[in-house]
Amino acid sequence: MMRLLQIEWMKLKHYRAFKVFGILYLAGILGVLFIMNVVYSNISAAQITKFLANPFDYPAIWNTTGWLNSWLLFFPGWLVINHCVNEFNFKTHRQNVIDGWSREQFITAKLLLIVAFAVVITVISILATIIMGLSLGASFSFEGIESMGFVFIQSLVYMLFAFMLAILLRKSGLAAGIFFLFGLIFEIIIVQLINRKFDLAPVGFFMPLQVSDELFPIPFLDQVINIKKPAIWALLLGCATYCSAYVYFAIRKFRYDDL
Amino acid sequence: MSILSVNNLSKRYGPIQALNNVSFDVPKGSVFGILGPNGSGKTTLLGIVMDIIKATSGNYNWLGHPGSEAQRKQIGTLLETPNFYHYLSGERNLKIAAAIKEKDPTDIPRVLQIVNLFQRKDSKFNTYSLGMKQRLAIASTLLGNPDILVFDEPTNGLDPAGIAEIRELIKQLNREGKTIIMASHILDEVEKVCTHVAIIQKGVLKTIGTVNEVLATTDDTSVSIELAAENMAVLESTLRQLPGLINIVDSNGVIQINCEGTVTAAQVNKWCFEKGIVLNQLSMKRKTLEKRFLEITGTQSDR
Repeated sequence: MMRLLQIEWMKLKHYRAFKVFGILYLAGILGVLFIMNVVYSNISAAQITKFLANPFDYPAIWNTTGWLNSWLLFFPGWLVINHCVNEFNFKTHRQNVIDGWSREQFITAKLLLIVAFAVVITVISILATIIMGLSLGASFSFEGIESMGFVFIQSLVYMLFAFMLAILLRKSGLAAGIFFLFGLIFEIIIVQLINRKFDLAPVGFFMPLQVSDELFPIPFLDQVINIKKPAIWALLLGCATYCSAYVYFAIRKFRYDDL
Repeated sequence: MSILSVNNLSKRYGPIQALNNVSFDVPKGSVFGILGPNGSGKTTLLGIVMDIIKATSGNYNWLGHPGSEAQRKQIGTLLETPNFYHYLSGERNLKIAAAIKEKDPTDIPRVLQIVNLFQRKDSKFNTYSLGMKQRLAIASTLLGNPDILVFDEPTNGLDPAGIAEIRELIKQLNREGKTIIMASHILDEVEKVCTHVAIIQKGVLKTIGTVNEVLATTDDTSVSIELAAENMAVLESTLRQLPGLINIVDSNGVIQINCEGTVTAAQVNKWCFEKGIVLNQLSMKRKTLEKRFLEITGTQSDR
């Protein structure tokens, strides 16, 4: 297993575009925390915030980081698409198999890489939260740190969804286009249609990416706008189901098709 | 035991029958040429035995066992195009290949030197010329010094010197006892390099055997002779009366005559001299694989 991950890393560690975007994204996790803090300080004068918990105090800050990161997860998702589609474009997916990987090993190497990315994203999120908390002089608490576990799970959901699109579609533009359009626009519309127009809440929250987004209530607004939220266990079950489905479809496609 | 044994392989892409019930065996120590026009199914065939294309029916064995990833690690394969990470240097690409094949990366300088690419090992793959990419792919097949090599159009994109080098390399590898399976549409290449040949057209195996056997199997016993003299017009009119002549083709300063099988070069020379013509060129054309190939596959460029 480690050997597969090592070889996968050999493919990426000297890829400049990957390194630049990867580092920018990770720095961005801390960056958006600072930006949101600036925005929050400006509006906190308004009376409404007095009634709600400060999102930059413990324990709420863990959730704030997770919620902000959920908007940034399109970047690692895009990196996964880029890496997989590169293999198809360079036909190195064929060469890896010709050189002696089984088709399953090729997929496993990618899955291990995605898990490794999710671990890195989680660790950086924890560090970013601690740095932010320190800079604001908030008193540290482990309470609410389960949000960092949710970061790990949500990262898997986003990247595995991107991975499946890349394996099924094989085209960078198509996979990335569907990933961004669906995640940023259509899913939000569909969720709102199901939950509000057809009044089927909380069914709408169980859309492929939304189910993981719901792990993070919207900081300082959630109590105002949200309706009938599913229980955490139901959301986690939803995430696990989707992840399994993404992996299943990717493996099925890659195992039986001509490469 | 044969190195590769292919049994009734068929492959269908929708309405197109790319391979139709192909069976053959590759003997150990041979240079086995798979010869066919563009689109005849050569790459499909090699893709199937490398498990990147799934056969519709039939099976294959390497060394008597069904194909597996462990076996593929012991076979050096170049299929269709050089497939490498464009943003990585030649050397780093070979490190990945060596890691997958579980071969010692210290073998990399050796294989790069064999294909004359050592000086450019640190350049990125996307800066390589077509010929250099091909050389890198050949270098990759040599990692770990495997006993079986599979080359699909190995001289693709190489300059004349490069083509000669690679052909010499293939012969050299064969002299070391390695078995080489080589697909090509270049007849000359197969004739010069291979010991065995299978001719394939539209996915159907047309003939198979040693190169000599395939060349010998023909009902056409005629011979071709090329000749030239100072005065070509006189030569041509004289040759028209040659006993045993079938036809004359005048091409580019030489005359090619096709005669019955009993006619020899010596007879023709003597006959011309007696008619007062001194030949300045006379050569007996061996029945080439090209001619045989066209007999088998037809002269139309037909897929």
